[in-house]
Amino acid sequence: MAKGKVCLAYSGGLDTSCILQYLLDEGYEVIAFMADVGQEEDFEAAKEKALKIGASQCYIEDLRQEFIEELCYPAIACNAIYESVYLLGTSLARPVIARAQIAVAQKEGCFAVSHGCTGKGNDQVRFELAFYALQPSIKVIAPWRDPVFYNRFKGRNDLLDYASEKKIPVTSTKSKPWSMDENLAHCSYEAGILEDPNTTAPEDMWKLTVDPTKAPNEPEDFTIHFEKGLPVKLECKDGDKTEPLDLFLTANTIARRHGVGRVDIVENRFIGLKSRGCYETPGLSMLRSAHIDLEGLTMDREIRALRDQFVTFAYAKILYNGLYFSPEREFLETSITASQKSVNGAVRCRAYKGMFSVIGRWSDTEKLYDESESSMDEIGDFAPSDTTGFISVNAIRLKKYGKAKEEKGESLVTKH
Amino acid sequence: MAKQKVCLAYSGGLDTSCILVWLIEKGYDVVCYMADVGQEEDFDAAVQKAKKIGALDCIVADLKREFVEKLCFPAIQANAIYENVYLLGTSLARPVIAQGQIAVAQKEGCFAVSHGCTGKGNDQVRFELAFYALQPDIKVIAPWRDPEFYNRFPGRDALLDYAAKSGVPVSQSKAKPWSMDENLAHCSYEAGILEDPNTEPPKDMWKLTVDPMDAPNEPEEFTLHFLKGLPVKLEYSAKGSKKTATDPVDLFLTANAIARRHGVGRIDIVENRFIGLKSRGCYETPGLTCLRAAHVDLEGLTMDREVRALRDAFLTVPYAKILYNGLYFSPEARFLLDCIPPSQVSVNGAVRCRVYKGAFSVIGRWSDTEKLYDMSESSMDEIGNFSPADTTGFISVQAIRLKKFGKGMLEKGESM
Repeated sequence: MAKGKVCLAYSGGLDTSCILQYLLDEGYEVIAFMADVGQEEDFEAAKEKALKIGASQCYIEDLRQEFIEELCYPAIACNAIYESVYLLGTSLARPVIARAQIAVAQKEGCFAVSHGCTGKGNDQVRFELAFYALQPSIKVIAPWRDPVFYNRFKGRNDLLDYASEKKIPVTSTKSKPWSMDENLAHCSYEAGILEDPNTTAPEDMWKLTVDPTKAPNEPEDFTIHFEKGLPVKLECKDGDKTEPLDLFLTANTIARRHGVGRVDIVENRFIGLKSRGCYETPGLSMLRSAHIDLEGLTMDREIRALRDQFVTFAYAKILYNGLYFSPEREFLETSITASQKSVNGAVRCRAYKGMFSVIGRWSDTEKLYDESESSMDEIGDFAPSDTTGFISVNAIRLKKYGKAKEEKGESLVTKH
Repeated sequence: MAKQKVCLAYSGGLDTSCILVWLIEKGYDVVCYMADVGQEEDFDAAVQKAKKIGALDCIVADLKREFVEKLCFPAIQANAIYENVYLLGTSLARPVIAQGQIAVAQKEGCFAVSHGCTGKGNDQVRFELAFYALQPDIKVIAPWRDPEFYNRFPGRDALLDYAAKSGVPVSQSKAKPWSMDENLAHCSYEAGILEDPNTEPPKDMWKLTVDPMDAPNEPEEFTLHFLKGLPVKLEYSAKGSKKTATDPVDLFLTANAIARRHGVGRIDIVENRFIGLKSRGCYETPGLTCLRAAHVDLEGLTMDREVRALRDAFLTVPYAKILYNGLYFSPEARFLLDCIPPSQVSVNGAVRCRVYKGAFSVIGRWSDTEKLYDMSESSMDEIGNFSPADTTGFISVQAIRLKKFGKGMLEKGESM
């Protein structure tokens, strides 16, 4: 008699196929769950495999729309970025995946969920903190943290032996010397040969983007329209795209063909280790950069500064660490929305040989930027003599500072 | 009775030549001052011109070394950036220029300093707040904020007439339809035709960098070595042989040369000025862009996560604002500058870089001394000293608060 039902996040790969078998061997009934977050994968083949191994059911949930609208869009709206360079492609997908997995688990009456995340990574934390917030009573089976499991399966060869023994079909293609995670927003690469931070990623590693040196010799121009900080229309040579998924996929296509969006970094994981990762984030890189540009034109200076310093950093950290289902994330998200009221307009963009650049921007509705007011050639409503007062008042404190320095014999003129 | 002496920041151009005439007309003795901060300019010709017009003297101060070592290098250590994109090229030069000007003014016994900054820009504020901190009792003559001056000279034609009448030689070349500021770190462009934020800058505007489309078809690679976060060696190739640059100015100039030939460092933005107006500016920051990006990368490998996060939010952001607003000579700037070196103690290592068609990228990095990144510890394939079971405890403790949150939501009927 089965020990209870477990919902396993299944990928079709070696790890989760072995885990599926292992859970069955342990006496559980297993419901397999696959999340379509835009990775280019043969879901039907994976489903067939899961059922063949012995899963009672295999769900394939199309989460692309919610991934874009609920996760990617707020990230664009606050220019989310981790440690100055990482656009959070993997972190952004985990919440929708976890949520859908719990929904399936609840529907099927599973007492536990399971996953194939390693014991040293971020994803185990992201998934499980989400699980516990979504359903506090859920149990989690994490084989890669179970000494019984990880001592039995010490490496790929042990898994291959087990698969062979249990007649689990294994793809004959050689496994790649790195680990990948792909979704609509990005593809990530880490582990294996990339663990040496001084090893350059091989050219053939990058899956989504063309190598910049092989990208077209002609730049590609396109325009992105934003309303309240969200992309609402993309005008390009392939037509106008307004539906979010379509817009996002088109931005990806443009960026991919010009090799835009690659980064190679060493980052700090939540569990305290450093990790080297390569990421290609094609469309999202461009949407974010265009958004930042439009904020220059349409957003108040102080709102922008507050949001940059107190919202963006915190929001990126929350996403990265997997605390999406939390009161602090909800709080910050309302701040994000509030900050974006005036971010309306359009940005003319160019992609060329791995580079994204802005060539112009405008807004029909926002007038914070006033051409004649800013002009060096016109006086307009502004009285330059007012600046004398502005400078004088700012100088009150600085004069006192300078005077004190002089009195201490620490002249600022000759010494920094 | 002896005339009062004024020290005028002189550029050799139309504006400051007219201001020189005007100050003399007003009965002052004028000592001109020119700061060499690396702009490509004929200083000798400008000195001759100033004396011909009637300046008592024209003193040229070579400030390149101070500019690089005292301003640019700490900015690199702090990854200084304004509003996500601007690397502060103009702001970084103002403090050394102002300091040099006050030094000359004091040496020459001037009661006042003068400049040709417009009444709507940032630079007037940067210069004057510096002046008042350096010498609290200095007087400042700012013609472009004086209604008597700006009403008399409402445009370029009025200045040209005045120059002609006063025997001031005027350059035959047509004035450019924008305003430029150049130094070792960057060249900036604003005003004129750029005032329409939707006008793409003309291809021939960019002075320092090759157009990315015309840049070489072969990428160029070089290695930057850092010690305590400062660039100490640049290894590159020239004419088939390997070369190194270690002197700060030489290193900076070499980084510039490499970046310039590959079109690296261009941005086009709308920014928020200190006086509250928005302004559209184009900037090319060749070498500094590469140095900063390489530095950010090395920090990933060598810097503690929490020190980095604190520094990013609470040092970099305010320091950039201080630089941008011209409050360099201030107690808060001193405080933040003092905080930079402690954050950089472990930033030692080297970064392998690549430039190609406008894009800078990192292809590898290493450190002989810093071991925060530990290849085997981070490895997905080895357990090492780390017990994956510990992560179960880590997750459980993080989940205490999230479970309470989730439970609260469920009880309110707000399923996530």
